[in-house]
Amino acid sequence: MNWLELSVEVDSEAVEAVAEVLARYGYNGGVVVEPAWTPGGEGPEFSYDTTRPSVLRTYLPLDGQAEETRQRIEQALWHLGQMRPVGPLQTRALQEEDWANAWKQHYTVLRVGERIVIAPSWLDYQPAPADVVLHLDPGMAFGTGLHPTTRLCLRLLEHYTRPGQQVLDLGTGSGILAIAAAHLGAGQVLALDNDPVAVAVAAENVARNGVCDRVTVAEGSLGAGAPMGHWLSGGSGPPEAAAPGDAVPGVGRFDLIVANLIARVLMILAADLAAALAPGGVLISSGILETRTAEVEAAFASAGLRLLERYAEGEWVALVHRRDGH
Amino acid sequence: MAKKLVGVVKLQLPAGKATPAPPVGPALGQYGINIMGFVKEYNEKSASQAGSIVPVEITIYSDKSFTVRLLTPPAADLLRKAAGAQKGSGTPNRTSAGQITRAQLRQIAQQKMPDMNALDIESAEKIIAGTARSMGIRIVD
Repeated sequence: MNWLELSVEVDSEAVEAVAEVLARYGYNGGVVVEPAWTPGGEGPEFSYDTTRPSVLRTYLPLDGQAEETRQRIEQALWHLGQMRPVGPLQTRALQEEDWANAWKQHYTVLRVGERIVIAPSWLDYQPAPADVVLHLDPGMAFGTGLHPTTRLCLRLLEHYTRPGQQVLDLGTGSGILAIAAAHLGAGQVLALDNDPVAVAVAAENVARNGVCDRVTVAEGSLGAGAPMGHWLSGGSGPPEAAAPGDAVPGVGRFDLIVANLIARVLMILAADLAAALAPGGVLISSGILETRTAEVEAAFASAGLRLLERYAEGEWVALVHRRDGH
Repeated sequence: MAKKLVGVVKLQLPAGKATPAPPVGPALGQYGINIMGFVKEYNEKSASQAGSIVPVEITIYSDKSFTVRLLTPPAADLLRKAAGAQKGSGTPNRTSAGQITRAQLRQIAQQKMPDMNALDIESAEKIIAGTARSMGIRIVD
């Protein structure tokens, strides 16, 4: 799909008013503000510079309506321009390719935990003897190893994966955690995701890492998760195509489950996760904001899981639970 | 080595419903951060405010890590709600879209203070009043 990017330079006091106009016409009501800022000495500090203009952008699908919409925005900005300075409206055609791959040039080899090394599939990497190397192209799926929740899960997988284990990676995204588990010695890994884009990306990454014999990628989820659809859909959608997955896993089967999801979904799935674990099995869960940790822990406790460990990185938390019994 | 700040971007998005489509993809792709990483974090943080536009400030560092901070609702949204107007005036220099009182103006300025570059409540009010004027919303005593 092609897009039209509209941008305009305005002084800091006019930002809100111009953003309001752009939000009225832009795709999904979305507006980008690139404020002027100045670094504050060393490190990550900065302050906004209100003496210089900000750039505002919005996007329109490049279809039959685009030109008419552009003219409306231009008119509305002209009226605002009578009251305070507003720069000319600039336009630029944009292809999805331009941004879908733009981030790749910045992505480098990344070391996580003690042994795991994530190497972008388009870079050469010479591993050290003890390295566990994941060759990865996350494409448009979640999981580059840069996000704190992914890093927490990788470290915990390093610690909890045992040779020959049956592993479930729920919400696999790029497949990063499933592949890590396979490289760390797991017997069989089932990698599930409700997002067909993620399933395709994960399957490619599994093939790239030569672990097809141990990792099965499929569209689907556990019990209550199957009808939820892709998490971007809001999760409460109609139980349409609950694609009665051959993939939907059996009960009491997994020695290790890793679920890097979000708090709400983890709570909905608590009972299903507990049921999917073999007695003595371990659940690694993440994607949990610090503020919601107590709720998730309560849901897991009432599903009969016992908390073993809690780790935090920044405002994100990962939990380790065990299903007791023999 | 201290990590260096390489970009600051603010986005106005529907709470809990961000997708990799524009504006998110083009706005963040150029900085080299993983787009789905941002989408997941934004939606989780803004989920409780579904139905509103929740602006977000993204700070991007040289190692491609980023932080996501939710901001207060846009002044324009608060003004529209206070004035009971569906939208701002397309021709604010000619037609009015509604009106708010001084007290409502102060309330909005107070709500927006944490994210504004204003030194005190009076200058915050002045900026919000400016936004109101450019939307065609009048301020009455």
